[in-house]
Amino acid sequence: MARPLDILVVGGGSWGTALASILAGLGRKVRLCVRRPEQADEINTLHTNGRYLPGAALPQNLSATADLAGSVAEAAVILVVVPSKHFRTTARAVGERAAGDQIIVHATKGIEIETFKRMSEVLREETSVLKIGVLSGPNLAKEIVAGQPAGALVASRYDEVVRTMKDLFTGPRFRLYGSRDVVGTEIAGSFKNVIALAAGAVDGMGLGNNTKSLLVTRGLSEMARFGVALGADVFTFAGLAGIGDLMVTCVSPLSRNHQVGERVGKGERLDDVLASMPYVAEGVPTTAAIHRQARKMGLELRIVSAVHACIHEGKTAREAITELMSRPAGEELGALVYK
Amino acid sequence: MDPKDKERVLVEVVQRVFDHFADPRTVEQALFDTIYHERRRIESGRGNGDGAGAAFYDRIYREGARASPERHRELLKDIITAFAEEVAGHFDPRVYALATKTIPTALLALLNTLSPLKLVTGGLGNLDDCFRIGGETGAFKAAASHGTTILVPTHSSHLDSILAGYAIYRLGFPPFVYGAGLNLFNNKLIGFFMHNLGAYKVDRRKKAELYKDVLKTYAGCTMELGYHNLFFPGGTRTRSGAVEQKLKLGLLGMGLDAYVHNLMARKPRPDVFIVPCTINYQLVLEAETLIEDHLKEVGKSRYIIEDDEFSRPRRVLDFVRQLFSLDSRIHLVVSRPLDVFGNDVDDEGRSLDHRGRPVDRTRYVMQGGAPAFDDQRDQEYTRELAASVVRAFHRDTVLNSTHLVSHAVFGWLKDRNPGTDLYRLLRTGGAEESIPLADAYARVERSLAGLRARADGGAVRLDESLTAKDIVALVNEALAHLRSYHRQPALERRGDRLFHIDRNLLLYYQNRVAGVA
Repeated sequence: MARPLDILVVGGGSWGTALASILAGLGRKVRLCVRRPEQADEINTLHTNGRYLPGAALPQNLSATADLAGSVAEAAVILVVVPSKHFRTTARAVGERAAGDQIIVHATKGIEIETFKRMSEVLREETSVLKIGVLSGPNLAKEIVAGQPAGALVASRYDEVVRTMKDLFTGPRFRLYGSRDVVGTEIAGSFKNVIALAAGAVDGMGLGNNTKSLLVTRGLSEMARFGVALGADVFTFAGLAGIGDLMVTCVSPLSRNHQVGERVGKGERLDDVLASMPYVAEGVPTTAAIHRQARKMGLELRIVSAVHACIHEGKTAREAITELMSRPAGEELGALVYK
Repeated sequence: MDPKDKERVLVEVVQRVFDHFADPRTVEQALFDTIYHERRRIESGRGNGDGAGAAFYDRIYREGARASPERHRELLKDIITAFAEEVAGHFDPRVYALATKTIPTALLALLNTLSPLKLVTGGLGNLDDCFRIGGETGAFKAAASHGTTILVPTHSSHLDSILAGYAIYRLGFPPFVYGAGLNLFNNKLIGFFMHNLGAYKVDRRKKAELYKDVLKTYAGCTMELGYHNLFFPGGTRTRSGAVEQKLKLGLLGMGLDAYVHNLMARKPRPDVFIVPCTINYQLVLEAETLIEDHLKEVGKSRYIIEDDEFSRPRRVLDFVRQLFSLDSRIHLVVSRPLDVFGNDVDDEGRSLDHRGRPVDRTRYVMQGGAPAFDDQRDQEYTRELAASVVRAFHRDTVLNSTHLVSHAVFGWLKDRNPGTDLYRLLRTGGAEESIPLADAYARVERSLAGLRARADGGAVRLDESLTAKDIVALVNEALAHLRSYHRQPALERRGDRLFHIDRNLLLYYQNRVAGVA
């Protein structure tokens, strides 16, 4: 059945709007589904999304709606880009109208905290759709909307999903690569937010590049160990969704999690930092979820534990760094299993 | 199968398999690959004196070596036809009528051989006491009224085939098409019935891909014609004793294949439903051989064991006698039917998503408004289905006293011998040759509490010995089983201690719990 829309982007935050803008810029039949009707009106009439992308001019042909139920059945592909906290509710609403010939991809870098389920697993539980994928990579929404070249990864067990997404997104300013490793892509996308908090804290404490490089590299190693234990392909962590995303999020001051970490590193209280931000910093709840899951699996993740101690147990960033540096150092890649 | 349908199926199988080879290079490759595998099988002596086969492949090889591409195609078709004819069942309605009359009495007699006097005096017990058929039997019948069903049981023993066949009869179904290993046909009596009850031969010694293609296509064609099928998706009997975790996707995927073909042909009843079921024993006939095989090459189970307990009639009889003199129960639990994508199916034949919302399943295979095949997509759909079947297997496994007590004792052994590797532990039994009875009771009680909680949540099923009996009675029942039938007792009580004698068997029975709990 031919559907009037190529793709429906669900979620009018900065990342959802940026993705919809890429598609609109390429002339795709795309609609952005947002939560509030006023926001849809703003996008349709002023071509801006002032709350999430202040100052950015959106493509004239990008249309928005607040009518999710009325839009789902119209799209061949549904791209869900909402915070992990609201993901299940949104997925359930999508599931009311979605059908088996449709494709659902998500671009949410988080884990369901209570269940430790990945977003693709939530989509599987809340919809009847089987052709599911994940889009992830080093993508700062502001740079994307500014038209700077970038790339990302789309992972799915279904070749059709990868093929369709590449066809939709590929253009002069955005490249999409393909993978079958859904688990690795999702774990990398979530885990990097925890490392970004730590990297931000390092910057906030005024420590230098040596320290940050040590932290990021060892963080990548923890990420890969954790992912492989959950069934991921270790090589995914060497790609765009792994090291690629980690680099951008740990270096750029535009990264939300980095911003949170930096302010905590400077001595602000986490609650105050979070209350002052209009965005969701996925790293905060993700840290607790990964920490709990790693303990359940018997994995020792020192950096995750240190970040957890800072944001959930009242330890200062400086105490956490001192403690990390006092632990014995083993073989660098000894704990990684290649499979 | 109706003789007319059998002819149709044969023609269709040959044509469909042949159609896979449009490219002349693939024809040549398939031809010589098959010749190689078949000659190797025959020369290795596993062909059971297959003189005709040797001559057949010698001829094909001689001709093929210097033949044109066109002749290669003809030779390939000859092989496909030979395979298809060998595979096809020989259903005879007259034999079926006889068998369905005979089987219940014969089975009942077999299951009551504890006392010949009982037979003579006509005091046969009720078969339903020994062999319990439960679970979603109503949903199974409902699914069969809406489409073609494929019954996919767990597989622990060759007795499974007989029990599943009997359950199908008891539930009022016509015979199911069933791919049975050659070893079942080797037993003349069972082979006779198998052959005439819809079973087709599966020769696992044949390694050529072409043969596997023929087998799968045969099953798919019978499904398209509306014949209910039965096969064991684990591919072989579980060696470890654990419930199957991984399934063979090839045959399982034929349900989807048949469904898409039916949609393309606009058949009025295109649906194919998968019905998982578990078969659960307190003692397993071939446990000793199976666990030995598992330990020999973990993860690389041999597919063919030709010399196990099933091939020795006296052992079978002894097994059955022991089982039923112990008031043992065998549970066959039918799970809720699934569609070919792994969704639950309700009694109206509708597919449901995880939230219980109806799903239009035709949409999964639509491309541009019409049903279509897509090999990669369909493989993934079948993987989804396999995951749903495995979940059903776990949920509907019935644990009983032998599993639980073995689990408790084996857990004690591991805890008392930390750092000892599994093989050493199995061989030596560790530092102590017995476990205090009190410790065993305590461990059984602890495990039982956990299992009851899981059973209450619907995660597993428990035999009545685990729901109704107290710990002492439960352990006694397990001991009675574990010291009987097998060549040596797995576990034996002497005074106030339990001696672990055959630890391989303890591992085998405990794996059932470890796999699901």
